[in-house]
Amino acid sequence: MENILSVLIFFPLIAALLGILVKKETIRVYGLTVAAIEFLLSLWLWFAFDPANSGFQFIEYVPLVSDFGINYYLGVDGISLFIVIMAALITLIGIISLGEVKDLKNMIISLLLLETAMVGVFVSLDAIVFYLFWEFSLVPMLYIIGYWGGEKRLYAAIKFFLYTFAGSLIMLVGMLYIAYVYQSVAGVWSFSLTDWYALVLPISVQKWLFWAFFLGFAIKVPMFPFHTWLPYAHGQAPTVGSVILAAVLLKMGTYGFVRFSLPLFPDAAVAYIVPVGVIALMMIIYTAMVAYAQKDMKQVIAYSSISHMGVIVLGTFAMNAVGITGSIFLMLSHGIVSGALFLLVGVIYDRRHTKLMSEFGGLASVMPRYAVVFGIMLMASVGLPLTIGFVGEYLSLAGFFRVAPVMTLVGGTSIILGAVYMLSLYKKTFFGPVTKEENKKLFDLNGRELTALIPLVAIVIWLGVYPKPVLVPIDNSVKALVSFMQEKAQTPEAKAIIHVSTSSKEAK
Amino acid sequence: MIGLGHYLILAALLFSIGLVGVIRRKNLLMLFFATEIMLNAANVAFAAISSYYHDLSGQMFAFFIIAVAASEVAVGLGLLILLYKKYGTLDLDNFTMLKG
Amino acid sequence: MESLVYTALFAPLVGSLFAALFGMKPKSLWTGTVTSLLLFVSFVASVLLLQHVMEVGPVHVTLMDWIVAGDMRIPFGFNVDQVTAVMMAVVTLVSTVVHVYSNGYMEHDKGFNRFFSYLSAFVFSMLVLVMSDNFLGLFIGWEGVGVCSWLLIGFWYHKEDVTRDVNPSISPSWAANEAFIMNRIADLGMLVGIFLIYWNVGSLQYDEVFAAVPQMSHTLLVAIGIFLFIGAMGKSAQFPLHTWLADAMEGPTPVSALIHAATMVTAGVYLVIRAHPLYSSIPEVGYFIALLGTFVAIFAASMALVNRDLKRIIAYSTLSQLGYMFAAAGLGAYWVALFHLAAHAFFKALLFLGAGNVMHAMHDELDIFKMGGLKKVMRWTYIYMGVASLALCGIWPLAGFYSKDTILEVAFNEHTYGIWFVLWLTAGLTAFYSFRLVFLTFWSDERYKKYGFHPHEVQKYVLWAMAPLGILAVVFGWWKEEFMEFVTQLLPAYEVSEHTHHMVPILIVVTSAIAIGGIVVAYVLYHKRLRRNPKIEASLPYRVLSNQYYIPILYEKAISKPYAELADIAWKEIDMQVVDATVDGIAKLVEESGDETRKMQTGNLSDYLKWMAAGAIILAVLAIVAVVKS
Repeated sequence: MENILSVLIFFPLIAALLGILVKKETIRVYGLTVAAIEFLLSLWLWFAFDPANSGFQFIEYVPLVSDFGINYYLGVDGISLFIVIMAALITLIGIISLGEVKDLKNMIISLLLLETAMVGVFVSLDAIVFYLFWEFSLVPMLYIIGYWGGEKRLYAAIKFFLYTFAGSLIMLVGMLYIAYVYQSVAGVWSFSLTDWYALVLPISVQKWLFWAFFLGFAIKVPMFPFHTWLPYAHGQAPTVGSVILAAVLLKMGTYGFVRFSLPLFPDAAVAYIVPVGVIALMMIIYTAMVAYAQKDMKQVIAYSSISHMGVIVLGTFAMNAVGITGSIFLMLSHGIVSGALFLLVGVIYDRRHTKLMSEFGGLASVMPRYAVVFGIMLMASVGLPLTIGFVGEYLSLAGFFRVAPVMTLVGGTSIILGAVYMLSLYKKTFFGPVTKEENKKLFDLNGRELTALIPLVAIVIWLGVYPKPVLVPIDNSVKALVSFMQEKAQTPEAKAIIHVSTSSKEAK
Repeated sequence: MIGLGHYLILAALLFSIGLVGVIRRKNLLMLFFATEIMLNAANVAFAAISSYYHDLSGQMFAFFIIAVAASEVAVGLGLLILLYKKYGTLDLDNFTMLKG
Repeated sequence: MESLVYTALFAPLVGSLFAALFGMKPKSLWTGTVTSLLLFVSFVASVLLLQHVMEVGPVHVTLMDWIVAGDMRIPFGFNVDQVTAVMMAVVTLVSTVVHVYSNGYMEHDKGFNRFFSYLSAFVFSMLVLVMSDNFLGLFIGWEGVGVCSWLLIGFWYHKEDVTRDVNPSISPSWAANEAFIMNRIADLGMLVGIFLIYWNVGSLQYDEVFAAVPQMSHTLLVAIGIFLFIGAMGKSAQFPLHTWLADAMEGPTPVSALIHAATMVTAGVYLVIRAHPLYSSIPEVGYFIALLGTFVAIFAASMALVNRDLKRIIAYSTLSQLGYMFAAAGLGAYWVALFHLAAHAFFKALLFLGAGNVMHAMHDELDIFKMGGLKKVMRWTYIYMGVASLALCGIWPLAGFYSKDTILEVAFNEHTYGIWFVLWLTAGLTAFYSFRLVFLTFWSDERYKKYGFHPHEVQKYVLWAMAPLGILAVVFGWWKEEFMEFVTQLLPAYEVSEHTHHMVPILIVVTSAIAIGGIVVAYVLYHKRLRRNPKIEASLPYRVLSNQYYIPILYEKAISKPYAELADIAWKEIDMQVVDATVDGIAKLVEESGDETRKMQTGNLSDYLKWMAAGAIILAVLAIVAVVKS
């Protein structure tokens, strides 16, 4: 399985194309099988992955446009490995959770295409290939929101598309400029990330490029004040769309920071810790407040996503292994938890066709299993120790504490404000007497929903109690990244702030 | 003595006349005439400068323009006739199908 | 010994998971019995461990790695030393009693199985809290008990929200959320303390951190001390984070006995005791802790004076006693704090369980003004509660006498006479409100008849289950010397000066005098009948006290409501009107400018030619200007 990454990318694509030929009655089974195979393949990737090796593995390299240095260049390291697995898992869970939707066939084909794009983004090591997958991921999502969405679906879909597209175009300009600089230094064109890593850019250039990439990533994350597309997209998207959007697509932004911004522009990244940190704090506090004000359950979760992404951004800009490892772990945990929460909101929406909290109350006594699963995810979302949410949040904040203690104290309010909006959601929905007649006869989670949710619950607890198998590969790659950044950094201030762990220094 | 300047002034005058015609006239046929005047203004200037510099390429280009103008008129007039047959008028104000 | 540690720790977890399996099913006696038995197993293991620690020494085990990132390596490690062994014994003993008791108390509740699942999960978290060998492990337990407390306070989640006039804590689910969120505020402080420790020591293991204390700068130690104490303030409900404790009385009474009296709320005290090498080197922070503790002691006692709610009075008394513990710990007498913690756990749990019996008899009525004369029908409950109250007041020879008197001696010895005086005065108040409760409930006229209650004593086995606590409330103090010798192997011994030593008999007399005085006043006022003075009840001090100094209302008006309004503004005004409007504005700008410029496209060739000519002329002019300039 030398070409496992290509298989992972193109298997869903080919399956999606073949899916057109599949009969409507069997498409669900077909989709499930494909997604399950893909997930097993991604697990195999983990199995074959050498956790001690911090560099890229399973590298594939095929020149595409050799005159311009554009290559089909893939590879995976500890940072991207688990995001790929999560993308495969969430797609599988998403397909399992699909209820009776119109045009199921098109939905499944779209999801498989989306999976291709997601896996492609996280394993590409060539900027142009990365960019292609990055933009391609918009198309199935546009279709999913625009076709299966709610009332304002077209507005939401177009807003989502144009907004993120505009940001990534600026990122593309940045990419072209780096390639141009590379060409003027090395004499040949190259879009390979590993080539770019070797490129030491002047600090003034770094600063401009940092913001160019920042725009692309920030809109995707989404960072304040570029976040307003997200509530619309989530509000209108069908459940499966929200699940994938929150779980995987948002991670593309923060992954971009780790993959591009940090190693390419270490000095600029260090120089902008404070402004980026302030934006992240705005995300954490401001969106937590907005989440508290929401009346619609799904919007609460949507805004809470932004709030949690703020913590991820803080961890990413911690410039030390603890913080960055934490932020990557938090990407995974947020993917699992927010995905599960969106699924859970979908469950109740399927039954009542409303998501307004005021319509519910006392659901805990009507749907106890639902309440239990929701409660576990709620606790993971507020970062309870021994659930998946704590590990990442704790490490991110701990890492950032080294750089900016006061800002961390402010950012730490996420654990308070998160509890405020999540608990008030839970209280409004699940506690109190059952007031509405139509809520009294709601049936509890059915088999299909449980099949989708129980794996997520298991992961939430497993990785909360024993995160080591996932943390160690991440940590190895992150340590390599951090020490690389420190070597590359030009200013002494940057070298001082980028903190290489003492043990790995000794190992060298 | 008639020098280069006089030729160029003539060319400029002719061109201006053509330009005003292009802008002001509403009849498509008149527009054609006006463009011909402009083209010929360019021809005059080409010929004059060519003789001034003793360089034949200017005159060559003038001939080229004459050829292009002739073929353009041939095609253009054909289109105009069709247009007239179809709409019974050549007045520009009647042709605003491309209004945005 | 490892197996004993794991047995003690995991038996409650197994019980909890077992009960959780039946969580959604109707009551099955099994769950109660099995969890109680497993708790008993855990208790036996704890006692064996205690014995082992006494005879051999501390036990340290590491289960496995938990978080490994960067240089951070946090294991699930458990350390059973003298302090932990005492805490474990106390926690598992009280828990076992409460489990058995709950079998009777929750008999008719629909959520019987669920209750035992939560209760055992709580014990597991509490054991993690006290047994962990590092700060983050402590934090697991810390948050774990918080969640279990949330689940248990909100156990009767189906109750409706009401206004504060009807029920000061609005509803169980509301009280649960309040408790969780307030604890979270404090937890942030604790987390920051942990970060500070990590980045300055490079480890979170207790032994390594405390070994590094001498090398750390004083400012840093003060900062760590303050942040950790903020965490302790939340869990132990110290002012200003105290309001949740009284509201937590919405939970079932066994929960109040276990969590909100004996174990969880003492976690803050445990933390200060555990971090004694740190706090010993920053006496100014310790002094602040003592001052705050003293303040809370009298502050809470004053609110208990006028309250009519059976459970709330005991809750305030818990708060007050926590203040005593902090006063002792803050002044450096860690072993005294631990001693009072243990003694308090026994008699306070007993008091709460007694209150539970009363509630059971009175059909969940909590107003002591509607009770009275219950000693005739509930003789054993009366005896238990009487003993517990006597112990609480510090009457010789009960447990409270030894522990509380020692705290007062410490305050005297430290020459902090202000603290001593306030604590002394509080002892009097404590005696008064405790016996106001006892007399109004068990003596005086039988007011309950008016309200049509038919009280009856609880089941026999429930009364038997309470016996260990009753006995310990009496005899625990007699082991003061042995206890001191045992725990001071780890904690610093506290020596009183020669002068204080001579003063001790006088102090004992003075303290006992005010305690007995308080009881006498209560006796005079209430032993025959309920005396109410409308004038006093209408007076400002009375209203301030009965409204908890208006602090809950203040919090609501000054924090919750403005936050909700601000959140609303942030959403509707800022997010929608500013941020999103800007985005849409940009889109609109593009659209409208396109719409405007579209009008250029008249479709008329003549117009196009004009535009073209104009453009050509402008270009020509620009070209000429450029030529001329160059």
